[in-house]
Amino acid sequence: MSLLERYPNAPGAWLGELPITSRYTAGLAGERFLRAIKDDGKIMGSRCDRCGITYVPARQFCERCLDELDEWLDVGTKGEVYTFTLLFENLDGTAREEPEVVAFIRLGDGGLVHKLDEIHLDDLDIGMLVEAVFKPETERQGSILDIAYFRPTSP
Amino acid sequence: MSERVAIIGVGWVGYRPSTPEVSYKELTYEAAVKAYADAGVNPRRDVDSFITVAEDFIEGTSIFDEYVPDQLGAVLKPVHTIGGDGLHGLATAHMLIRTGQSEIVVVEGHSKASNVVTLPEVTAYAQDPIINRPLGLNTDFIAGMEMNRYLFETGTTLEQCAAVLVKNRRNALRNPLAPYGADLTLDEVLAGPPLAWPLGRYEAAKHADGAIVIVLASEERARSLCDKPVWVIGVGWCNGAPSLESRVWGDVPYIQKAADMAYRQAGIRQPHLAIDFAELDDTYAYKELQHMEALGFCRPGEAGMLIEEGATEPDGEMPVNVSGGSLGMGNLLDANGLARALEVVLQLRGEAGQRQLDEVEVGLAQSWRGVPTTSGAVAILSN
Repeated sequence: MSLLERYPNAPGAWLGELPITSRYTAGLAGERFLRAIKDDGKIMGSRCDRCGITYVPARQFCERCLDELDEWLDVGTKGEVYTFTLLFENLDGTAREEPEVVAFIRLGDGGLVHKLDEIHLDDLDIGMLVEAVFKPETERQGSILDIAYFRPTSP
Repeated sequence: MSERVAIIGVGWVGYRPSTPEVSYKELTYEAAVKAYADAGVNPRRDVDSFITVAEDFIEGTSIFDEYVPDQLGAVLKPVHTIGGDGLHGLATAHMLIRTGQSEIVVVEGHSKASNVVTLPEVTAYAQDPIINRPLGLNTDFIAGMEMNRYLFETGTTLEQCAAVLVKNRRNALRNPLAPYGADLTLDEVLAGPPLAWPLGRYEAAKHADGAIVIVLASEERARSLCDKPVWVIGVGWCNGAPSLESRVWGDVPYIQKAADMAYRQAGIRQPHLAIDFAELDDTYAYKELQHMEALGFCRPGEAGMLIEEGATEPDGEMPVNVSGGSLGMGNLLDANGLARALEVVLQLRGEAGQRQLDEVEVGLAQSWRGVPTTSGAVAILSN
C-alpha cells in the first residue's frame, strides 16, 4: 500500500488508462529467424564477413558497417552463460519468493536472453554450457517462447 | 555566435517521494520562477528558446510536448521536447547558443514519478517486443545481468557496490534536497533483500518527484546578467548498441564515448587530475563504479578500490555524488541529468551549504537513461 493510500486526507487524483495494443512486424530477417525456430528447431545467425561478426538473432544488416547480410548459418542450440541474474520481482514490481533464473546465452557473436531451468542454483556460473529446450513442434507458434528454456548440458 | 555558454540561473523543487498537492505543471512553474529570479531574466521578454525533456508514457499524456509551454512562460516562443535525459536537453541548449540561433535558452526536466501507477510495465514496454518482451520479465533483470558481468570482468566485489549506497545515502543526510538520507552499515546493505541478484533491493534508487529548470546564456549576455556564471566547457552524448543481444554487458562504452566528446571540447586529457568532483548516475549502486571507470577516472576494476579507500568521499581526492546521488535524492527519471548538473552548479557557485566542497573549479555531471537503454550524456562545468 502506497503512502498516499494510507493517508486518509491525501488530495484526490484522477486516474486514466489507455488500452495499448501494438502490431510489431518481425521483418525479413526476423520472420526467417522465428520460422527456423518453429519449423526446424534451429537457431540461426547471419554473418558479416567485413566485420567478422555472426549476429544472433540473425538480422538483415550489420550494425557496424551497415552491409546487408545474406550469409545465414545455423549456430547450434548450445551456448555458454555469458551473464545471469536471479530475478526476485515480477513484471509489475511485486516481489517473488522464488527467483526466476534469467541468463544471456552466448551464441555466435550474439546470443539470446532466456530463462534457465532444470538447474541447481549452486551450480549456476558464468561460462557454464547450456542448451535450448524446444517446445514440442505442435505447440510452437513462431515465438521466442518456442524455446521453453535453456538447461545445463555437456559439450 | 558565442564561443562560450554559461549557466546563469537555476531553480528547483523537491525532491520528495510524493507531491500529492501539486500538479506537474505547478512543480515546474515553481522551479521556473526561481530559475528566472536567479538568472535575472524575464522569460516573456528575454528567453529565446525552451527545451523540455519528457517521455509520453511516463507523463501519461500523448504528444506531451503540447503541455509544456505555459508553465515555463514559453507560449508563442520556440519550444521543443527532447525524448532523452536532462543532459541531452542541456546539450541541445548549448548547441542553440553556440550556433547563434539563440542567446538565452531554458531547459526544464521534471519527475512526477509518484503518479506513474504502472512504472514497471511502462519500462517493460521499452524492451524489444519480439525477442525479449514475451519472456515477461521485470526490466531490472538487465541491471542484474549487467552487474553480474561487470563484477565477473573487473573483480569488483559486492561489498564495494554496497559501499556506494552507504556513501551516497550518508551524503544525502547533509543535503536538504534529498529525501533518502540514511546512516547504514555495509552489513545492513549486504543483508538486505535481493532484487536481481547480485543486485540488492536497497541498491536500486527509489523514485522521487521534483522539477529543475536551468537558464543558459551566451557569453555576452552571461557577463552582463550574472555575477557567478558557470561555464559549460564540454558536453557529449552517445548511444550504444540498443539490443540486449549485441551490446557488451560488463562495460558501458557509450559513456566513455560521451565523455571523450566532452573532454575533447574542454581540452581535458587526464580527467582524474582536471576534474575536482563529479555527480554520476547511481540509479543502481554498481553503476557509479562502472561509470567512474568509463569516464577514465581510473582503470577498469579500480573504482571499487577507490571507494574502499575513501577517495570518492566528500573529503577524498575525487568526491563523487556529494549530493547523495539518485540513491540519496531519488530517481527523477528523465530529470536525473539535470539534478546532477544542478548540484555541480551549486558547488561551483559555493552555494551547496553544509555539503560545500572546498576550492572546486571543474565539475562533471553524467547521466544514463536507465534500463533497458544504452544512452548516456556528460557535461563538464567550470566557474
